[in-house]
Amino acid sequence: MTDSVRATPDDSTLVRIRGLTTVLNGKTLFDRMDVDIPRGKVTAIMGPSGTGKTTLLKHITGQMRADAGTIVVNGQNVPELPREQLYKLREGIGYLFQNSALLTDFDVFENVAFPLRQHTRLPEVLIRNLVLLKLQAVGLRGAARLLPSELSGGMARRVALARAIVFDPMLILYDEPFVGLDPVALNQVLKLIRTLNHTLGITSVLVAHELEAVKQVADHVLLIANGKVVAQGDPRTIASDGSPWTRQFFGGEADGPVPFQYPAEDLGRALGFAGAGK
Amino acid sequence: MSERLRQHDNVVIQSLAQIGNCGLFLLALLRAVPRSLRYMRETVRQLWFLGAMSLTIIMVCGLFVGMVLMLQLYHVLSIFGGTSASGMVVALSVYRELGPVVTALLFAGRAGTSITAEIGLMRATDQIDAMEMMAVDPMAYVATPRFLAGLVAMPLLCCVFCAMAIFGGHLVGVTWLGIDNGTFWANMTSVVEVRTDIVNGVLFKSLAFGAVVSLIAVFQGFTTPPTSEGVAYATTRTVVASSIAILALDFVLTAFLM
Repeated sequence: MTDSVRATPDDSTLVRIRGLTTVLNGKTLFDRMDVDIPRGKVTAIMGPSGTGKTTLLKHITGQMRADAGTIVVNGQNVPELPREQLYKLREGIGYLFQNSALLTDFDVFENVAFPLRQHTRLPEVLIRNLVLLKLQAVGLRGAARLLPSELSGGMARRVALARAIVFDPMLILYDEPFVGLDPVALNQVLKLIRTLNHTLGITSVLVAHELEAVKQVADHVLLIANGKVVAQGDPRTIASDGSPWTRQFFGGEADGPVPFQYPAEDLGRALGFAGAGK
Repeated sequence: MSERLRQHDNVVIQSLAQIGNCGLFLLALLRAVPRSLRYMRETVRQLWFLGAMSLTIIMVCGLFVGMVLMLQLYHVLSIFGGTSASGMVVALSVYRELGPVVTALLFAGRAGTSITAEIGLMRATDQIDAMEMMAVDPMAYVATPRFLAGLVAMPLLCCVFCAMAIFGGHLVGVTWLGIDNGTFWANMTSVVEVRTDIVNGVLFKSLAFGAVVSLIAVFQGFTTPPTSEGVAYATTRTVVASSIAILALDFVLTAFLM
């Protein structure tokens, strides 16, 4: 780890990424990308599909190794951490999966209690109280004995959120938390993200496509495209910064820096017209 | 022609790579055994699902295998006037070959497929990744308990299968066809040896088959593409690969143990 990327736990930046390079199936996903995630803030990562937003979250948690670069989380360079230390770091990170990823064998209560049972030797009464408090925080104490198959999408996401915060983490990563939610469930999740950030001071990183929702909850937005951070700033003003990337992404234009056509050979040649494409 | 040869080469290379990956997976599995000891409750739970829940099919099949074996043997041995030896032949066939092999094939179909499908679906629905993110090692919590449970369950199921097959043989031979009860048991006990037939035949073989079937099932579940089609193919591969491995390993073990 170089001095330029070393961070101390009291630094204002919780996650500092420098020179991140990732090549997947021959495609360069990140090209020496630099990212800073400020401590105690809500940071939204946006960008066209396939630009590696979820991959970036997986790099931060050490689930996926990058080809080059440093990823410093709370002063620890994730790619260099041995297994035990990586697992220790993960105990301080909550991760909300896009499809909630609840354990289908267990009911809601046991899903939330799962990390506590695995990592602590707390008495059963204390585990019960902690789980019920977390479920109360997400409004689902009454659903404690339901199975994941009995929950709606919004409820499952709130249970997953209760599980993610059961250890009061320093960082929560949300992978597309608003996808497939009706307006009521969407507002409930938005409210929870805001509350967790403001009351507990948890640093939050969310990957999302919904600018209106992001405006309500995020302090900072990063727009990723072409392997780099192409724009960043306040969510209320970023859409009007005038760059071609922000114009296309936030304006919803079909063609632009992100081409409408997937790269392919010349159409004439593909259709067999002689001399086409010359 | 060269294109076909290249495709053939690719299949061979992929198969060898698959076997190599399975070997590496076994090493990772064995390394995770000490860590999985803290999840003993999960191992016991799996032992219930893979062992106790397979009892019905094992008992019913064992009974019918013993019954049909006695019918066939009685018919053949009666030509030479040797029907009194049929109990002995049933016992030797069951202990040495049919017991471990048929139990392992049934175990692959009943328990192996359920292991692969369960782990494959856990992967497809991000449950394995969620465990990783909760700092719970999936190799220690998911893979090893199922592997160990399979290892323990197979010899026990094989013993039950053999007992039911002998009972089936007795039912047909003594009760139905009229072989003398004393002759049936006396011939059997005089020929069956504990070391050769019970330890090597029943216990050792079924332990080896249990390890192979459980390894293949867990490996296929962990490496399946996270799609419904991927899980379906992985489940099929578990049955096919397990069946071939059981029969091939049976030949090797028999050659060395006889």
